Amino acid sequence: MDIVFFALIAIGIFAELFTKGGDAVLASLIGGAQTAVQNGITMAGGMLFWMGMFGILEKTPLMRRLSKALRPAIRWLFPDAGDASGAIALNLSCNMLGLGNAATPYGLEAMRLMEAENPKKGVATDSMCVLLAVNASCLELFPATLLGLRQSFGSTQSAVVVLPVLLSSACSTVLTVLLCRVCTRR
Amino acid sequence: MSAIVPIGIVLLLLYAVLCRVRIFSAFLEGAERALLLLKKLIPCLAGMLVAITVFRDSGALDALTRILRPVTDALGVDARLLPLILMRPLSGSAAIAVLSDLFTEYGPDSVVGKTGSVLLGASETLLYSLALYFGSVGIRKTRFAVPLALFASIVSVVAGLVFSRLFFG
Repeated sequence: MDIVFFALIAIGIFAELFTKGGDAVLASLIGGAQTAVQNGITMAGGMLFWMGMFGILEKTPLMRRLSKALRPAIRWLFPDAGDASGAIALNLSCNMLGLGNAATPYGLEAMRLMEAENPKKGVATDSMCVLLAVNASCLELFPATLLGLRQSFGSTQSAVVVLPVLLSSACSTVLTVLLCRVCTRR
Repeated sequence: MSAIVPIGIVLLLLYAVLCRVRIFSAFLEGAERALLLLKKLIPCLAGMLVAITVFRDSGALDALTRILRPVTDALGVDARLLPLILMRPLSGSAAIAVLSDLFTEYGPDSVVGKTGSVLLGASETLLYSLALYFGSVGIRKTRFAVPLALFASIVSVVAGLVFSRLFFG
């Protein structure tokens, strides 16, 4: 991130200094920060609403049912997960419902349990690699944060993205899972 | 199509009430987390938007887009989406900042806005999770995790672009 930040700002300042002068550079810099505040306020409404809804969802037994339904798939994907399979189930369930923030603690717990049983400390096990890969492909049933963001910016057809998001994340999850199987078979 | 989400919300509330969830306090708990997220997000938005604004105002972004035009044209990718695609694996908040910039510029219902939304929704912050998950338990040899996760991200972006093209033209 440091490199990206530096490159953007340094190149931007130099180029604008030569083409438009110092006042324009300062106007761009402060203007950017002002846009940040405006955008932050704009997206606050949608986020408050959807994360509130997810607060309710988390309190229902739905999450536990979903993780129970995922059990067989987890046993197939993570044959050597052992104690960690419960935490993995909760991690994947949260991810599928677009609760990225809630998923992280379960993911870390799963990593801790897997490392505890790891015969070669410091070397990733098959299951760890698979967990990371499945997390990166992120099958998303319902992109709540995204919908909130779109609605906040005045979208009149915010839900049109739900199906393409579902299809493309499903695509990458299926391909990744297959590749995981190839890698762990060796 | 547009009725699915509102009906889902009603069903969720009904289900929660039937499960005896205290829905109002649960809503407040969840919404409070949105504030915590925004508290972290706004400084990141400021940093990224300052950098992006000066980069764009200076004409450097146009120049970069012109240089990369042959590549993006050959792949059939809208060059305006490049910053988002490049930022997505690095940082989730930064990607949200880039997308909000696209929304302000072109509107969330433009083809660019919709495609950007799909790209944000369909992929993950790869580098952050890798560092966090492996760092938390002190794994140094990551074996096939990085190439696999990278593969997953690339497939997500490609699939996102393909499905956006199919749905939004």
